[in-house]
Amino acid sequence: MTHARQKSLFEPGDVSAAPSVLRVRPAPPPPTGPGSEGQAALELDPRELWVAAHVPHLSLHALPAGESGAPLVVLDEARNPRIIGADEKAQSAGVRVGMTLGAALAIAPDIDARPRDTARELALMQRLAGIAATFTPQVSIEAPDGLLLEIKPSIRLFGGLKELCRQLREACAADAVLARSGALPHFTLAPTALAALAAARAGARCFITDPRQLPARLKLLPVGVLRWDDDANTRLLGMGVRTLGDLLRLPRAGFARRFGPALLADLDRLQGRRADPRRRLARRERFRTRVDLDHEIENHDRILEVLRPLLDELEQFLRSRQRGITALQCRFHHYRAAPTTCALRLAAPEADAARLQSLLRERLANVRLPEPVRRCELRGGALTERPLASRPLWSPGERGHAPANEMPALIEHLRARLGAQAVYGIGCVSEHRPENAWRVTEPALAPVVSAADAGSVGLPFRRPPWLLHAPQELDSQRGRPRYGGVLELLAGPERIESGWWDGADARRDYYVARDARGARFWIYRECVGAGKWFLHGLFG
Amino acid sequence: MADVHEKQLEELLAHPSVWRGRSRAAVETFPTGFASLDAGLPGGGWPRHGLVEILTPQPGVGELYLLLPALAALSRLAPARWCTWVSPPHEPFAPALAAHGVALDRMLIVRTHLPLWAHEQALRSGACEVALAWLPRASPRAVRRLQLAAEQGRALGVLYRSQKYASEASPAMLRVLLEPTKHGARLRLLKSRGGTREPIDLTWAPAAAA
Repeated sequence: MTHARQKSLFEPGDVSAAPSVLRVRPAPPPPTGPGSEGQAALELDPRELWVAAHVPHLSLHALPAGESGAPLVVLDEARNPRIIGADEKAQSAGVRVGMTLGAALAIAPDIDARPRDTARELALMQRLAGIAATFTPQVSIEAPDGLLLEIKPSIRLFGGLKELCRQLREACAADAVLARSGALPHFTLAPTALAALAAARAGARCFITDPRQLPARLKLLPVGVLRWDDDANTRLLGMGVRTLGDLLRLPRAGFARRFGPALLADLDRLQGRRADPRRRLARRERFRTRVDLDHEIENHDRILEVLRPLLDELEQFLRSRQRGITALQCRFHHYRAAPTTCALRLAAPEADAARLQSLLRERLANVRLPEPVRRCELRGGALTERPLASRPLWSPGERGHAPANEMPALIEHLRARLGAQAVYGIGCVSEHRPENAWRVTEPALAPVVSAADAGSVGLPFRRPPWLLHAPQELDSQRGRPRYGGVLELLAGPERIESGWWDGADARRDYYVARDARGARFWIYRECVGAGKWFLHGLFG
Repeated sequence: MADVHEKQLEELLAHPSVWRGRSRAAVETFPTGFASLDAGLPGGGWPRHGLVEILTPQPGVGELYLLLPALAALSRLAPARWCTWVSPPHEPFAPALAAHGVALDRMLIVRTHLPLWAHEQALRSGACEVALAWLPRASPRAVRRLQLAAEQGRALGVLYRSQKYASEASPAMLRVLLEPTKHGARLRLLKSRGGTREPIDLTWAPAAAA
């Protein structure tokens, strides 16, 4: 291969030469082949370190344990099903992965063939990803049975690379669900994601941080670990290419022509010549759990006891994300009656199990259960940012104490027992009709600088601090209003005429009146109709 | 020698936990906004924490005007704690409160059939500077609970009750009987730690006077 021919590969328009956006050095010297060993090492980016976790025989582990004791095989979902997993008994009987079901039955007629359970496979991998996510945020699932973690930024936090890998292995081994299913992953470490994954799939030992060791380590792995399609694998086999070493020795141009730029890009990624960004796994953003009770319970205290472990689990879930929830729903399922729901709304994000339990206790006090409870379900609302704060030095009310979360806590506590509508703040509205001049607001949890309402001090007319929920009609005697006795008018009238546009037309003359005992009232007379008197406020 | 003993005695008696009949006990207070009332109250103002009972013959006799200057001052402290109104008999009218300088964003209204519980929670929480409550009935035991909650939460609890409870014993630290007059109100301190026994006459600010 001449140098000139090689250059033509990197002309504009060639897919393999398209400049990568991420982390590829500008204008690398053109390599002489897809895997020319000397140069590849220089171009690797040592800023990344990938751990791959591969679960061998995931499809077998995902099935519930077979009771029959017969050799177990797992089939894929194609119309002519092929075997994608076979346990030891089946393998010793001669069944191999990739056979059709017919072929396998011909060899071993007593096999127990089952369709694969993709949902449970995914659930197992997600469980694994959940553990991995406690070590690094960059976790991605390589369907169906691989997991990739970029751990370089986490090394110092966990006290070194070896220590991190040991903790990761132990965390996976300690997980009850994974252990029960037997789905224990094989871990490898490499400077590129694909290399780590390839080694893990091959079950090879691989713990390299130095990019220069990569080609030597990859050399012996079979081509199949790249999981290219059958067509490519067959052709490679026909060419006598069995290992990655053989593959990387192929001329680059010829390889691109025969197999297309996509596979060439794969080889570049394998060696770190091309950026290989992975999409981060989005973590589960809602908390849901439930517990089936082995006996029915009615007692509220017992229900709270049952809920406590669920709440602890919720707290763990939230703390690991440094998040809180502002809504929590509790459902109690009964034998016949529709489920009872008990919803909790919080003024500020909360993650503390003890506090949630005490709020649930208040809330449950108002809930009447139609039947005993058979199952409890807990559903958390959307996760919100929970600002972390230290405990205050001063207790509330002492000089120097800055108000923290006592008020949200009080509002939640009151609302849990009395309902959300029972607790509110008030605000002014620019409107002449007194009943529309104020409104119910959400309590302002952030202190507002009240320059705006200080400006309304210069109100030219007197307003009573008490307003009746609805104006109360007064008796009148020869045109004079009575409330207990005859009222003496002290001031007025003040005409308020407004609202002809919204149907609640008001034309009223307001007066300040006093009764015989000295209490003062704000009353008005309708300017339309019979001119009835109404009591609207008290100067309390 | 006698001087020395007298001095020691004075020191002993000056201790805040010693309360002598008509003497002014050392309590943390803040001004009421009315000079004549400040002069009559022990410590020269409303207590900063504790329970105050205000007894009125009927609503509408100035029971809010009595507190509005204090509420305005407290709600504008920095950092301001809250003022909670537990089951008020009518709607607190926002424009009137704002006109008296009360910061509305520190007001919290609670409508409940459990006013005693809500009032105790508000006082105990430490979130409130003042908690006002209108209770139809309250046994001396319940009032005692409220007094303790107010001390624990370092809040001023105000209990509005009817005049007919004036003869009942009450554990509140201050009891005020309010009667309307032509331009204001006449106050009597039914119970106080060293307040005046004379009736105190108040005149409402011109904005409030009729």
